[in-house]
Amino acid sequence: MIALIGLLIGVALGLLLQPDVPLWLQPYLPIAIVAALDAMFGGLRARLEGVFDEKVFVVSFVGNAVIAALIVFLGDQLGVGSQLSTGVVVVLGIRIFANVAGIRRRVFGA
Amino acid sequence: MSLLADLLAGKLLDPGYAEAAARRARRPDAPGGPLRRGRRGGGVLLVLVLTGTLIAVAGAEVRRSEPVAAERRSRLIDEIDARTAETDALRRRLDRLRAETERQRAAALARGDAGHGVRSRLARAAAAAAAAPATGEGLVVTLDDSPRDDPDGLAARGGARGRVYDRDLQVLVNGLWAAGAEAIGVNGQRLTATTAIRSAGEAILVDYRPLTRPYEVTALGDPGRLRDAFTGSAADRRLRALEERYRIRYGTRGAPDVRLPAAGPVRLRYAVPREEDGQ
Repeated sequence: MIALIGLLIGVALGLLLQPDVPLWLQPYLPIAIVAALDAMFGGLRARLEGVFDEKVFVVSFVGNAVIAALIVFLGDQLGVGSQLSTGVVVVLGIRIFANVAGIRRRVFGA
Repeated sequence: MSLLADLLAGKLLDPGYAEAAARRARRPDAPGGPLRRGRRGGGVLLVLVLTGTLIAVAGAEVRRSEPVAAERRSRLIDEIDARTAETDALRRRLDRLRAETERQRAAALARGDAGHGVRSRLARAAAAAAAAPATGEGLVVTLDDSPRDDPDGLAARGGARGRVYDRDLQVLVNGLWAAGAEAIGVNGQRLTATTAIRSAGEAILVDYRPLTRPYEVTALGDPGRLRDAFTGSAADRRLRALEERYRIRYGTRGAPDVRLPAAGPVRLRYAVPREEDGQ
C-alpha cells in the first residue's frame, strides 16, 4: 500500500514540477528507469515470497542505478555507449521478466 | 554465476533477499526490533517516490521533445519550399531575360541585309548547340531496368537483374544522332554535342544531374524517317540483344508533339566581346 502511494506521489511530483533534465543527464534517464523497475519488481517478488527486507531493497535500487549509469558513462567515454546501454537493458530486462514470472507464480499460482 | 545458467535453473536472480531472510531467521529479535519497525517503509517510500518521479520526468521529456523534432522538420521543409520558390523565380527571370535578349538581337539584326545572314547562321548555330528550345514531332525511346520479380530474368539464373547502364544510354543517344535526330533529350534534359552521360554509383548522370528510371530518350525529327534509319542500326541491335538476354525494357514510339528545353547555359569558347563597342 505504502509502495503504491509512494509511486503515485512520485508520478504526481514529476508531472507537477516538470524539472528540466540537463542534456548530459538525458542518456542515463531511461537506464535509471529500467534499473529502478528491476529493483521494484525484485522487491515486490520478495514481498510476496515473504522475504522482503528494506535495506536490501534500498541498496539494490541505489546499486542498480549507480552501476547502470556507470556502465553507460564508461561506454560513452569509450565510444560504445549505445551498445553498452543495450547490454544493460537486456540484462535488467531479463531480470525484470524473471521477477515478474515469480510474482505471477505467487499471485495466480500459474 | 552466469546469468543465463541461473535463469534456466530457475534460481533467484537476486540472492540478497534470501540471504537477509536467512540472517533474520538466525537472529529473530535483534535487528527486527521496534526501532527498525518504526522506520520501516521510509526507505521504500523514498525509493518509490524517486522511481515514480523518474518515470514521470522521462514521459514528460519524451512528450516535450516530440514537438521540437516536428517543429525542426517543418522549419526545414519551409526552408526547402522557400529555396525552391526562389530558384523558380530566378529561372523565370532568366527565361524572361533570355527572351528579351533574343528579341533585341532579332530587332538589331533585322535592320540590314547582312543582319539577315547573321541571323540565320545564328539560328543554325543555336540549334546545333542546343541553346534554344526545340519543338516538333519526334521519336521517344524508353529504356528501363528489368522487372524486379521477373521469373525468367537473370535473377532466376543466379545473376544480378538487368540494369540499364550509362554505356547503353550512350549507345542509344549516338545511334539516334546517327539516325538523323535534330535534337535529343533524356528525361526532359536537353543534350548538346558535348553533354556527358556517365554513371556515379548506381545512378546515371546526364550533364552531372542524376536521372531516375525509366529513361526516356526523345529525339526530334520526322518519326518515320528516324525509325527507319534507327531500326537495324548497331545501337538498335545491341539494345534488342540486351532486351532479349537481360529483360530490360526497350520500346520506341512516335510522338506528334515533343518539346525540349534549351540546354544549360552556353559557355562561349571562342567569341569575345568587341572592344570598341564598349560592351
